[in-house]
Amino acid sequence: MSEQRQSPARAIWLRSLVVWAILIALLGLSWLAAYGPFGGWTVAVNFGIAAAQATLVAVLFMRLNEASALVRLAAVCGLFWASILFALTLSDTFSRLANV
Amino acid sequence: MSAVGKLIREPWDELGLSESKAFALQRSGATFGIWVFIASEVLFFGAIFLLYAAMRIEHADAFAAAARETNIVYGTLNTAILLTSGLTASVASRAAEHDGLRRLTLWCLAATAALGLAFLVVKGLEYREDIEKHLVPGPRFALAQAPAQLFFGFYWLSTGVHAIHLSIGIGLVGRLIGKGLRDHEWLVGNAQVEIALLYWGFVDVVWIFLYPALYLAGRAG
Repeated sequence: MSEQRQSPARAIWLRSLVVWAILIALLGLSWLAAYGPFGGWTVAVNFGIAAAQATLVAVLFMRLNEASALVRLAAVCGLFWASILFALTLSDTFSRLANV
Repeated sequence: MSAVGKLIREPWDELGLSESKAFALQRSGATFGIWVFIASEVLFFGAIFLLYAAMRIEHADAFAAAARETNIVYGTLNTAILLTSGLTASVASRAAEHDGLRRLTLWCLAATAALGLAFLVVKGLEYREDIEKHLVPGPRFALAQAPAQLFFGFYWLSTGVHAIHLSIGIGLVGRLIGKGLRDHEWLVGNAQVEIALLYWGFVDVVWIFLYPALYLAGRAG
């Protein structure tokens, strides 16, 4: 009986701890990269690592991997509209800088 | 009344569904609802990050100089604290679906709320240091470059909005703990646990992007 009750707990911890360890390793990597020799690419490396961490949290901690198609669509919608917001606004910002 | 019967919300009987089927539908509706809310929050924080991107593109040097003034130790510690709270939130969310894991659910909820409070304490210490270093935009601002004030305007706005979100999350998790302690059947299978912890996960994700934006810019060289 007690073994039956413990095994789901162990499975839950094991799965979540692996994800957590990767997240903390990525945090360390991001800190190191900020001081690293990447020049202008540093910002891309740091936000790339942040995007990887956010994906891990959304998919495995927030369980998008088990979610229904409708829920995944709702999640992607936020990113889709935000990408339009970014693309249109930054096209203006970059075009002003290019024409200075 | 069965455990599911206690958690289900009226009116549901007009659809003529069985209790378990009606409850499953309510759960999926609740999950969908919080994700729609999270998508709207993505747009809210997206606009805030867009402001940051546009300002940083135009004032790259001043932003690098200003970001060097933030305390990277506090920032990194708080990121680790929030990532760990994401772990306990995830375990609590999954454990709440098992009949025999009520105690684990409660402990993980308590750890999540405690880590959230620890984050706010560290942030408070950092705010005190920032104020002492005159990093609040205004007449006595510490840095000479004018756009550095834009950076710290963003710093106070974004961390303040995030702290409000986190405080709401701590309140939601605290409520789950209180209800779960009073009623032994309340936590198991309850959609409110998943919803509150999905919100918590989103607040984590916001900080994951604030960390490189506020603490890592301008460190090299």
